[in-house]
Amino acid sequence: MINVEITDLTRRFGRNQAVAGVSLQAGPGVFGLLGPNGAGKTTLLRMMATVIPPTTGHLRLLGRDPGACGPRREVRRRLGYLPQNLGYYPGFTVAEFVEYFALLKEMPAARVPAAVATAVERVDLGGKARTKLRTLSGGMLRRVGIAQAIVNEPELLLLDEPTAGLDPEQRVHFRALLRELGQRATVVVSTHLVEDVGAACSQVALMDQGKVVFDGTPGELTARGTEHGTGDAPLERGYTAVLAAARA
Amino acid sequence: MTAASAPAALRPAAARRGAGAAVLGSGRLLRLELRHNAMLWLLPVAFALFWYNGYREIMALPPMWNLRAMTLQNRLLLDLVIPVTGAAVWMGSREGRRSIADLVEVTARPRWSRQLATWAATTAWAEVGCLACVAVVYVVTARQASWGGPLWWPAAVSAAGVPALTAIGFAAGTWFPGRFVTPLATVVVFFGLAFGTQAASGDHSYWQISPLTAGAFDIGAAPGVASFYPYLPDLSIAQVMFTSGLTVAILGALGLRVARMRWLAALITAVGLAAAGTAVALAGTGRLDPHGMITIPALHDAASNQPVRYTPACSRTPIPVCMHPAYAGFLPAVTAAIGPELTEFAGLPGAPDRLGQIAEVYHQEPGNGIAVTAHAASASEFVLPGQLPGQPGTNSADFAANLEETLGLRLARDVILGGSGRAATPLPSQAELAVIAGSVRFPPSVEARDMAPLYGQLLPQPGSPADLAGRRFAALPPTAKHAWLAQHLATLRAGHVSLEQLP
Repeated sequence: MINVEITDLTRRFGRNQAVAGVSLQAGPGVFGLLGPNGAGKTTLLRMMATVIPPTTGHLRLLGRDPGACGPRREVRRRLGYLPQNLGYYPGFTVAEFVEYFALLKEMPAARVPAAVATAVERVDLGGKARTKLRTLSGGMLRRVGIAQAIVNEPELLLLDEPTAGLDPEQRVHFRALLRELGQRATVVVSTHLVEDVGAACSQVALMDQGKVVFDGTPGELTARGTEHGTGDAPLERGYTAVLAAARA
Repeated sequence: MTAASAPAALRPAAARRGAGAAVLGSGRLLRLELRHNAMLWLLPVAFALFWYNGYREIMALPPMWNLRAMTLQNRLLLDLVIPVTGAAVWMGSREGRRSIADLVEVTARPRWSRQLATWAATTAWAEVGCLACVAVVYVVTARQASWGGPLWWPAAVSAAGVPALTAIGFAAGTWFPGRFVTPLATVVVFFGLAFGTQAASGDHSYWQISPLTAGAFDIGAAPGVASFYPYLPDLSIAQVMFTSGLTVAILGALGLRVARMRWLAALITAVGLAAAGTAVALAGTGRLDPHGMITIPALHDAASNQPVRYTPACSRTPIPVCMHPAYAGFLPAVTAAIGPELTEFAGLPGAPDRLGQIAEVYHQEPGNGIAVTAHAASASEFVLPGQLPGQPGTNSADFAANLEETLGLRLARDVILGGSGRAATPLPSQAELAVIAGSVRFPPSVEARDMAPLYGQLLPQPGSPADLAGRRFAALPPTAKHAWLAQHLATLRAGHVSLEQLP
């Protein structure tokens, strides 16, 4: 089952082409989107999240065309999204913030309290459910962002730099959560931390200058770095080798 | 983080949500918005502003429903405009200020629906503030007023104005999110609202549509308006129509950016603008009716032209003074002011059996000028001065002096000269002038020249023999004056009493 189907997708901001003819497919599982800063990962993710429309190309999400209003709303009901910069309302408590998004995602109201409690527990913030967001640390806020993204049990979960600000222990827990979510849904994780990809992703795409320069499994990416790559970890060597080859 | 099992997904069920579930969801969303709304925190500010500006002024007024309700309409929205508009702008700009737009934009609930929930919560708290102010004023007035009941139309106009203020503020915040939009929009709305009342000119002014305008601009809240005749809701209906139309139009305009609902939003906006425009046009057809209220022919109910039925409140004085029960609180002041005259003239030829209060008659003059007259058909009818103690610029002494200069002097003229028809010709004798001067207790500052334009020459020249005789007569007690007049009134009127013969 293909949940994300991208064909020759481009996105321009004025003269700048942030995404240049990307084609990808992703089914259930955790899909890693790697790339250096400015590679176009966030723009691609925002298009997949229906925040911005593509300039050209075709995008099908969960078997629907998000360009039309009705299908887009259906997609959004089944979508979880964590942006790179999480905005939040400081006066809300953790539970209220997650509940707010559960209601905006049009979850059945009767199911909302249980879903909120579950989502908050899954990010280990059960003890902080009644704490105001203004008092939380950056890492905790990141986990609140993840909780709001998963509260509706999304079929398509888009996470932009989800582990930024998390401590190592939380990062390990989060990878486990990603694997668990990936069993039922398509999880797209945009990151430049290759260890996250190696630990949790079943498929990985590497972007550079708006284009996909590698699409395969983490193992295949590791294999690319055995001869020419630089870095401390095998996956890092694959990452640098592919980038070097693309730029050459 | 744990990979605990999650509740089973319910995609098809979620897709087929019933109307009940949608209402429940919207209710929960509204509850959240109510709990985290800036207006809630600004309510104390709103109450403080109202107490300082409006409440103290309203409560200083005589406890008459018409005065207090109309003044409430004049003041309430102006007192609330800053906290209400400020909170609405702040809430409208929230998503932009908090950089949360991306996150909420990708949710299934349409932007319009989401924004309406926030606006509704802001408006609900603002309405709570508005209605609480109305309730306090009305409860206190109910305990103090001697007659009548609450006037609901002025309160309805204020209540209908609140959503318009929040809609304007919310839209400004939504369209121009930023920290400086809140003070800027608040100041603009405040001055816009205040200017609306200043721009009105005459009874046909379109600016009467301002929700701060209660009745004709130059009368405002006057005791004579809506006491003898019912409160006419014509202008209030137009004002409610205007503010409601404005609210609908702005809320509709908020939805114009939602592609799927653009036509619906455009239709709602057009309907709102049509309603507001019609209301403005109706206000332009307003006319001042003789009872001091604005009538709008298209909205006017002829049944409301009938006078209000009431049982007058009467004094137990030698000449009973009967007043409209709404003015009952002023009966002691009136009888105290003209009490000596009532004793002095009771039972004399030309003296009325009783004095009955009648309504003033209002007539629009060019611009904002309004002439207030009294069509007293007989000597037994009178109108109270237009300003009562407690109204701005009037105290009990002014009120008593005004009564002496009008009612007291007219009573003296009618009795001493034998009726109003003799005021000008033939000219009163010096002895008659002296008795009139000795009967009416004017403040020392009042001189003949002050009275002449109103009543002709009814007071002697200061320092003249008639003036001195008048002072001598004034020194007598009312019963002695009455006894002398009972004996000599006929000869006095006939001109056969000289100044020296006066006691």
